[in-house]
Amino acid sequence: MEIQGRTWAGVTRVLIGGLCFTILCAVPGRLAAQISQQQGIQVASSKAETLTLPDAPLPVVVTKSALNRGNTLSSGSSLLTHAQNQPPSNGPSLSDLGLSPADTEGSAARQALMDRRTHMLKIHQRLGLITVIPVAAACISSAGAPPEKGNYSDTTSRDIHVALGATAVAMYAATASYAIRAPRVSHEPARGGVKWHKYLIYIHAPGMVLTPILGAMAYNQISSGQKVHGIASAHGAVAAATAASYGAAILAVSWPIHIKF
Amino acid sequence: MNKFSLFATLLLTVPAYTLLNAQASASDQTWKLDQSTLTYHMSHPMHEVDGTSHAALGTGKCHAGQCDFLVAVAVKSFDSGDSNRDLHMIQTTRGAQFPYVQVRFRLSQASLNASTLDCDLEVQFAGNTANYSHVTFQQTVQGASHHITGVVPSTVSDFKIDPPTFLTIPIKNAIPVRVDMVWHAE
Repeated sequence: MEIQGRTWAGVTRVLIGGLCFTILCAVPGRLAAQISQQQGIQVASSKAETLTLPDAPLPVVVTKSALNRGNTLSSGSSLLTHAQNQPPSNGPSLSDLGLSPADTEGSAARQALMDRRTHMLKIHQRLGLITVIPVAAACISSAGAPPEKGNYSDTTSRDIHVALGATAVAMYAATASYAIRAPRVSHEPARGGVKWHKYLIYIHAPGMVLTPILGAMAYNQISSGQKVHGIASAHGAVAAATAASYGAAILAVSWPIHIKF
Repeated sequence: MNKFSLFATLLLTVPAYTLLNAQASASDQTWKLDQSTLTYHMSHPMHEVDGTSHAALGTGKCHAGQCDFLVAVAVKSFDSGDSNRDLHMIQTTRGAQFPYVQVRFRLSQASLNASTLDCDLEVQFAGNTANYSHVTFQQTVQGASHHITGVVPSTVSDFKIDPPTFLTIPIKNAIPVRVDMVWHAE
C-alpha cells in the first residue's frame, strides 16, 4: 500500500514537473509570437504613416526664361524636362495632345539608372570580347594537353593549357558578373538577338563550371599515370560545346551583320 | 424712301455679316493626327537599323490664317526589333529624362492643301532643340484625310548626343527620320 502511494506520488511529481516544463516552454514562445505580431503591426502602421505623410515642400526654382513667360518651373531633376515641355510660341502644347505633366515629366534618377546599366553592359561587352582570347588559346593549347605516346612526365604543354583554361574561366566569371549586376530597367521580355544571347547562357554557363572540373579530373588521372577515363573523358567535348555556344552568344547580339564601309 | 433704304441696308448687312462670321469660324480650325509611322534609320559599318513608332500624337491650331502644329512621340515607343538596342537608344538619347520628342512647325492656312509642304521644323529631342529649315513633305489629299510623307534630315550631333559605338566604331552622324502621317481637320 505504501509502495503504491509512493509510486503515485512519483507519477504525480513527474506529471506536475512535465506540466510546468511545458508551460515554461510554451508561454515564452506564445509571448514572443504575440510581441512579434504586435511589432509587425506597429512596423506596418508606422510604414503606412510614413507612406501617407505628405512630401516636404521643395524649393521652387524659377529660370529667367520661365520668368519671361510667366511660368514657374518645378525644382530638382525635372527642371530641364519642364523647360523642354514649354511651348516656344502660342502654338499647341503637350496638354493639347492629352498628355498630363506626369506623362511628360522625365526622371533624372531613372536616367542615372539607365546610364549605370549601359556602363556595366559596356564593360560586360568589352570583357566578353577580351575573354574570347583565352578561350580560343585554351582550345588551341588543348592539342598539346594529352600525354604523347605514354609520356606522362612532360607536363609543360598541359600546364599551359591549364593556365589558359583557368584564365578563361576567371575572365568569363568577371564578364558574367557585370551582366548579372547591371540594374534591370525593363520587365518586358527580351526581343531580337539579345533573346538568343540569353538562351545561350544555359549552355555556356554550366559548361564553364563543368569544363574545369572535368579538366581537373583528367589532369589528376594523367598525373597518376592513368589514361583519362570515366566522366573526365567528356572534358574535351564539354569544352568545345561551351566555346561554341560562347561564340554563338557573341554573334547573337551582333546579328544581323551588314558590312558596309 | 428712308424706310426702303433702311430695309436695303439691312438686307445687305445681314448676309455680309453672316459671310464674314463664317469665314472667321473657318479660319479657326483644329487639326488632328490620325495615323503615323515614324522611322529613324541608323547606319554603322556593320549594321543598318530601322526603328519605328506608330505612337505619335499630333494637333494643329489655325488662327488668323496661320496654323501651328505640334507632333509629339515618346522616345520609348520606337521599336528596332531588339529590346536591348531600344533600351540603349533610350539611354543614349536621354529618353528617361526627356521622354518625348516634340516637333513644332507653322504653315499658312492657304498652303494646307498644297501637294508639297515646305516646313520650318523646330525639334526638341534629348534635352536640346534643333531647327530644320525648308523640309519638304509630299501631301495627298483624299477627302478629309491629308496623307503626308517626307524625311526629316536629323543628325546625332544636332542634339548633342554621343554617338553609340560598336566595336569602337561610332554610328554615322545622320539619323534621317522617315515620316508618314495622316491628318484630318476637325
